[in-house]
Amino acid sequence: MILGYIITALLLATFTAVAPDRRMARCPAALFYAVQAAFFIGTVTYHAGETVAQFFTFDGLGLLFFGLMTVIAPAAFYAGNRYLDRETLRQYKLYNISMMLLCVSIAGVYFANHLAVTWIFLEATTLCTAGLVYHRRSTRSLEATWKYIFVCSTGIAIAYLGILLLSTVAEGGDLSYATLRETVASGNPLFVKLAFLFIVVGYSCKLEIFPLYTIGIDANYAAPAPASALISTALVNAGFVAVLRVYRVVEASPVFAWACHVLVAAGVLSLLVGALYLRRTNHYKRLLAYSTVENMGLATLMLGLGSGAAWAAVLHAAGHALLKSGLFIQTAQVGKAYGSYRINRLGDYMRVNRAGAVALLLGVLGLTAFPPSVLFISELALFRELFGQHIWWLAIVVVLLVCVVMYSLWGRLARLCYKPGGHPADRAAISPAATWVGFVLILLALAAGVCLPQSVFELLTAITAG
Amino acid sequence: MLIALVILYVVTLVYFAITERFRNYATLVGLQGWILMGIALMRLHGGSLAELLFVVVETLVFKAVIVPAMLFRIIRRTGINRVSRGAVSVFDSLLLSVAALGVSIGVTYYIADTTVNMVFFGVALYALISGLLLVINRRRIFSHLVGFLVIENGVFLFAMAIGAEMPFLINIAILLDILISVLMLGMFLSKIGAVMHDLDADRLTTLKD
Repeated sequence: MILGYIITALLLATFTAVAPDRRMARCPAALFYAVQAAFFIGTVTYHAGETVAQFFTFDGLGLLFFGLMTVIAPAAFYAGNRYLDRETLRQYKLYNISMMLLCVSIAGVYFANHLAVTWIFLEATTLCTAGLVYHRRSTRSLEATWKYIFVCSTGIAIAYLGILLLSTVAEGGDLSYATLRETVASGNPLFVKLAFLFIVVGYSCKLEIFPLYTIGIDANYAAPAPASALISTALVNAGFVAVLRVYRVVEASPVFAWACHVLVAAGVLSLLVGALYLRRTNHYKRLLAYSTVENMGLATLMLGLGSGAAWAAVLHAAGHALLKSGLFIQTAQVGKAYGSYRINRLGDYMRVNRAGAVALLLGVLGLTAFPPSVLFISELALFRELFGQHIWWLAIVVVLLVCVVMYSLWGRLARLCYKPGGHPADRAAISPAATWVGFVLILLALAAGVCLPQSVFELLTAITAG
Repeated sequence: MLIALVILYVVTLVYFAITERFRNYATLVGLQGWILMGIALMRLHGGSLAELLFVVVETLVFKAVIVPAMLFRIIRRTGINRVSRGAVSVFDSLLLSVAALGVSIGVTYYIADTTVNMVFFGVALYALISGLLLVINRRRIFSHLVGFLVIENGVFLFAMAIGAEMPFLINIAILLDILISVLMLGMFLSKIGAVMHDLDADRLTTLKD
């Protein structure tokens, strides 16, 4: 079934590549997202829990994040079509093909049940994302693309070293997560420690956490804002899924406590970097990208606190994906209206696009974990775990950094919405439909905070507990 | 014979630290490709013939022929032949390289394990550190590219140290080769050289807060 999905995607990408005009290029792309939704519904209904083509399993973790991507990707596609109205046909086709192939690569990461297959699909995401980052073909996008490929390749090579070290515990060369989980306890603890460290450092370029978070910032800066709605959510979640699966393997080994310390350190440093640079940046897309670093840092910290907060990490990553995709789509509208993303030049957005401004306010409300945001539940679980484990110093550090993040985000958003004057805006460039598409994603994240069914909590617990 | 090839590989790494000519870089990358091909031929003789052929042919085609040829082409097209502003002198670079070799040997003895071929492990680690030193000590983007290729060759050697019994792992290391050869070098060749004529990494600083 998954092979059918991949082959269909490749065929539709080919049709897009040979399309003679924009309308003909749009049709196969739209069809792809319909196929993706049908694949998701079919998988959930008939194949949940099954293993197909030897290397893919439709488990709860994969299905949860794939379901999210099934919602986010069409929204990003729709907003992208409205956003890219001045692009040449070639640029437009490259954008749509890259988006489709990125979705397929991410789906491969979500469903892979094999350490090396996960790595291969993550490598494929680098190629697809490079196409999106280089979309504008300017000197800056060239710089961002070069850095993205260089750092991602380095990260992927480091992760490969980790895979090699973890392969020393594999029985008969089997690198499936299930087998590794059974055999990891008998491995050389030093090798398992190094393997986990290398894999976390290597995948941090996708997960957008410390140390290789920088390229995610530049990629989101250079890529069109609707593409960032996918890069900063579904792709980041792919990195999260990859790390979580290795975390589940290491959980069965004597070095698990050490691995948790690594995650706590990476999480706190990401939170620190996010908080500091949110104060410093003067660009709305980079602001949202640093917010991703901060939020994925929090999710990593939750994982590092052990099984008590691990379910909250998954919930945080999922909620963040909905909010951040909605915010990037709104930011695309801001960019179209003002022709710029510079924070010190923009203002009075409430008057220019009231629905968009309200969506931004609600999105940031959710992102800073105010009720009824779903992130409120996950961050509450984080603090309960910190207090429960009596790690007071860490709780204080996290509270302080989260306060800095709130101040930075609210200060900049207030400036955008209410600062009088600002750069002259082109109201005609705003797409009300795209504004509402982003609004719906944000409302979904807020609604999830109010009425999250018990079955979702059970799913989250099952994902992190086995 | 295998040990002789490994020693020759170490010599190429030391030479990377003291040379400043880009043509020498390209030649050394090609030489490493040939050495790795020889090592693969000897290390993987126990597996199936098809797997052995695939690994050997790939190593020969990508590492020993295509990548060095692309490097020479970049040098011809850009007209830049040498490192102009190294952050450290050649002597300091040599000292750092020797220190890296010492660290690699120390680490290898520290984590000695029966599941890993320690000679390959130590040399692979030295290659990784040497590649990182090239990236850090040199400013031109071309040096960074070569540094990454050295790291990537180190990773391939690391795969030989651990994954000789698992051709699947060697094959995915080859995927990394193809990604780098086609994407990074291709992009360098067709785009960056045309936009940034001095090819200095200091020019890549427009993206900042």
